[in-house]
Amino acid sequence: MPEIKKYSEEELVGLLQKRDQPAFAYLYDNYSGALFGIIYKMLEDRELAEDILQEAFIKIWNNFSNYDSIKGRLFTWMLNITRNLTIDTIRSKGYRKQSKIQNSANSVDYSIDNISSNTNTAESFDALGIRKHLTLLKDDQKQIIDLAYFGGFTQDEISKQLAIPLGTVKTRMRTAIMELRKLLQN
Amino acid sequence: MNKNDIISSGLLELYALGLASPEETLQVEEWVTQFPEVKAEIEAIETSLESYAQAHAIEPPASVRDKILSQISAEGKKTSYLAPHANDVKGQATIYKIPSYFKMAAAAIFILLIGSIALTYSYYGKYQSANDELQVTQQKIDEQNQANLAMKTDINVMTDKSSLPVVLKGTPHAPDALAKIYWMKSTGDVYVDPSYLPVIPSGKQYQLWAIVDGKPVDAGMISTEKGIYHIQKMKSFGHAEAFAITLEKTGGSPTPTMDEMYVISKI
Repeated sequence: MPEIKKYSEEELVGLLQKRDQPAFAYLYDNYSGALFGIIYKMLEDRELAEDILQEAFIKIWNNFSNYDSIKGRLFTWMLNITRNLTIDTIRSKGYRKQSKIQNSANSVDYSIDNISSNTNTAESFDALGIRKHLTLLKDDQKQIIDLAYFGGFTQDEISKQLAIPLGTVKTRMRTAIMELRKLLQN
Repeated sequence: MNKNDIISSGLLELYALGLASPEETLQVEEWVTQFPEVKAEIEAIETSLESYAQAHAIEPPASVRDKILSQISAEGKKTSYLAPHANDVKGQATIYKIPSYFKMAAAAIFILLIGSIALTYSYYGKYQSANDELQVTQQKIDEQNQANLAMKTDINVMTDKSSLPVVLKGTPHAPDALAKIYWMKSTGDVYVDPSYLPVIPSGKQYQLWAIVDGKPVDAGMISTEKGIYHIQKMKSFGHAEAFAITLEKTGGSPTPTMDEMYVISKI
């Protein structure tokens, strides 16, 4: 097996700013699965998700000079691009389904079955191990993260969905993510 | 707002999730530059969310990777075309390529041309000889038709109901000579069959006479051209006592040369 190159985030950003194509391939190999998982769960349409993933990565490549590491991590920036493209698609197609909201509200089943156990990131990232930890996350905590992450919902929509005041979304989200961080540290 | 309030507000989590409003986003970005602790906190939140996303990763099909990377490398090539050297090399390649294609095409066309010329010659030759043969055949047919027509006429004359055959027998001058006349009583037409007259010397011609009221009357010259003797139409007579054929100079005589009478009949 050929040796897999690993870049620190800083190195990767530096190379991508110089429009280094191998670095971009590395970026794709390490993040396409995570982004595709999010797009797919937002849309539940595989072909459309593939189109958006492609569009997103082209946009990431073309607009890389806009990335500012001060404002956040590379993945967050990529995720925002991808999420916005996906939300635009949903809106332009009048896509959002009521059933989707229902699903999100009462299920924990953004299930592990749906998830590829063979992602490109397996070498550098222990997805299985993390999933094991994530099973320890409380249902309501997982739910609020999923609504934000995989539902593509706004704060307002989450508050309506969970029937909690808008101000509470923030604190609930913080609690959930604190719990997530704690689990991941173990 | 101090940094601990900021951290515990929950806003950083929304920011990391991309759920903060534009105003909130600007606010957080300002805090990040002010407080290293806030930046560190955001990093920790982002890292945990990143792990969460990775744990839920779905591998997209390889075709998407190929499409994206080829699209990107195609864009890269586009810019390198701007380099003059790249253009030169491409230009040369183009010059070389197109002629070789045209050479092949020209060769193919030339071969086809030669082939078609050869075929044309061959077919033209065949056409010529076929045409010649056709003309010869047509000539033969024409001759045959004429012969047929003559024969039909002969037969018609001989078999006509109203035809009266008259045999002209040889005179002492030419005892073996014989001629026949077919006299159409209905119309008065006179036909003569000179088949058994002797071959005539050049410059001479047989002439038919009808004896009407005891006097010989010219009944026409008998054609014996090319040695062909067949039934031919002569002048018409309503009545006649006898017919005789004499040998006269070509073109005939006003009165018969009695010494040269070959055949004579009585009706």
